[in-house]
Amino acid sequence: MSRRHLETACLLGPALVVLALLFVVPLARLFSLAFTDPAGPFATFGILAESSVYRQVMWNTFVVAVVVTVLCALLAWPVAYVLSRLKGVWFAVALYGVLFPFWISVLVRTFAWMMLLERNGPINRLLMSTGLTDAPLALLFNNVGVLIGMIHILLPYMILPLYGAMIRIDRRLLLASDGLGAGLLDTFRRIYLPLCLPGLAGGATFVFLLSLGFFITPALLGGSNAITLSMLIASFVNDRLAWSLAAAGSMALLAIVLVLMALTARLLPVEKGFFAR
Amino acid sequence: MNRLPLLLRIAANAGASLVLAFLVLPILAVVPASFNKASFIYLPPRAWSDVWYERFLADPEWRSSLFNSIEVATLATVIAVVLGTLAAIGLRRIDGRLRTIVTGLFLAPMIVPVIVTAVALYRSALDVGLSGTILGMSLGHALLALPFVVINVGIALRAVDDNWLKAAAGLGAGPWTIFRTVTLPNIVPGIVGGAIFSFITSFDEVIVAVFMAGYSSKTLPVKIWESIRLEFTPVIAVAATVMIALAIVLFALAQIVSSRTGGRAQ
Repeated sequence: MSRRHLETACLLGPALVVLALLFVVPLARLFSLAFTDPAGPFATFGILAESSVYRQVMWNTFVVAVVVTVLCALLAWPVAYVLSRLKGVWFAVALYGVLFPFWISVLVRTFAWMMLLERNGPINRLLMSTGLTDAPLALLFNNVGVLIGMIHILLPYMILPLYGAMIRIDRRLLLASDGLGAGLLDTFRRIYLPLCLPGLAGGATFVFLLSLGFFITPALLGGSNAITLSMLIASFVNDRLAWSLAAAGSMALLAIVLVLMALTARLLPVEKGFFAR
Repeated sequence: MNRLPLLLRIAANAGASLVLAFLVLPILAVVPASFNKASFIYLPPRAWSDVWYERFLADPEWRSSLFNSIEVATLATVIAVVLGTLAAIGLRRIDGRLRTIVTGLFLAPMIVPVIVTAVALYRSALDVGLSGTILGMSLGHALLALPFVVINVGIALRAVDDNWLKAAAGLGAGPWTIFRTVTLPNIVPGIVGGAIFSFITSFDEVIVAVFMAGYSSKTLPVKIWESIRLEFTPVIAVAATVMIALAIVLFALAQIVSSRTGGRAQ
């Protein structure tokens, strides 16, 4: 019996030691820096909370995450529905269309949007040649660019759980509702939508939490006009060498993510959405 | 509801097609941009040339960043696959609350925002002298890849029946023989899948790499990240195309492996 325990310890041990050295200890060490400000142990959190600039950054991070989540939910709906109805070759084509972007680097996809959204880029030239606008639109280095880039990257995280929920719906329920005389809208509202909700909630949680921590895409597409919390943390480290503020910002970001995860896990059967991947 | 009215069905199909085009086409726009003859990025190119590929290969910085990426990704993959496979097998041997806690710990690097992990790693790497080294970046990437290996191998392990292990033990096989002849052959697809995922995770990763890279140990994404901010030239599109090409190859490999796994499970 003890030999078996020893074997199990040998199997799990190396990974746990590496995890402790590369993850648990570095995080604990970083967070401890948040309390080392000369002005007092909790001064860093006060600075972050009281400065109007930092409050604006946090508000911007939150607004971007909410808008990205809502728009992803709307855009994911038709794709997930069509995926759940398609069969054969067309199903494979659509599914690969959703899965393919997952494999392409976030940096490459962000770079692609920089080329497309430029002042003289193809999208602006198309808009002007069709007469929709007279002058090139500012699509880059503001929240418009950030939203487009982030939705492009996060949309598959919404489509797959939603598709997972739709594919599990028993079509006979819809037939029964139809046969009992319910209209299309009634069937949708009272049967289809409630059955899709776990997938929608799982996807929305995924997208919202990932949005909060996004760094590469807002840094390149938004620039200094659309600063997010993660960009602020990076600038504390790289430009200002303000480790205590970076640590406090990191703690705040992680705390928000963990609290939201705990809340959604309690309120909604999120794990269904997670398993749908 | 089982069959939507024609008009709604057309709308759903059109909407889905547009969204799918939005997902796929922008990525493909990178490829023509890399074959542009002009010295600036212009889409679609008016004249085609492979001059920027020559520039990419001739530039020692771009070339070394590509080799650094391959080195870091290979090292990270080896570390993550060895540790993750052992851990996944170990996880099966514990149960109850302990299993939940240990599993949660292994998945935690997926939940903590990468920027937080990157800053924490960078700070500790500075203290122990791993900052700016290939090893430092590999360790950071191995940490991010570990959950994928644990999940992939864990799923493959579900196909291994406990009774097979008991039967092998009853026939007198030692733990190593049981692993080599019963467990391993059954989880190879999971290990290969985890390895492919680890490699691409490391090869594509920017945030940890940007913090950890020194002057001479830049990976390809770090070099792209810096170049985008300095000069927006078609050579970046070349580097991005290289990354897309590698991703497509690994994606195809993963599809083949997973289709084999599917066949095995049935």
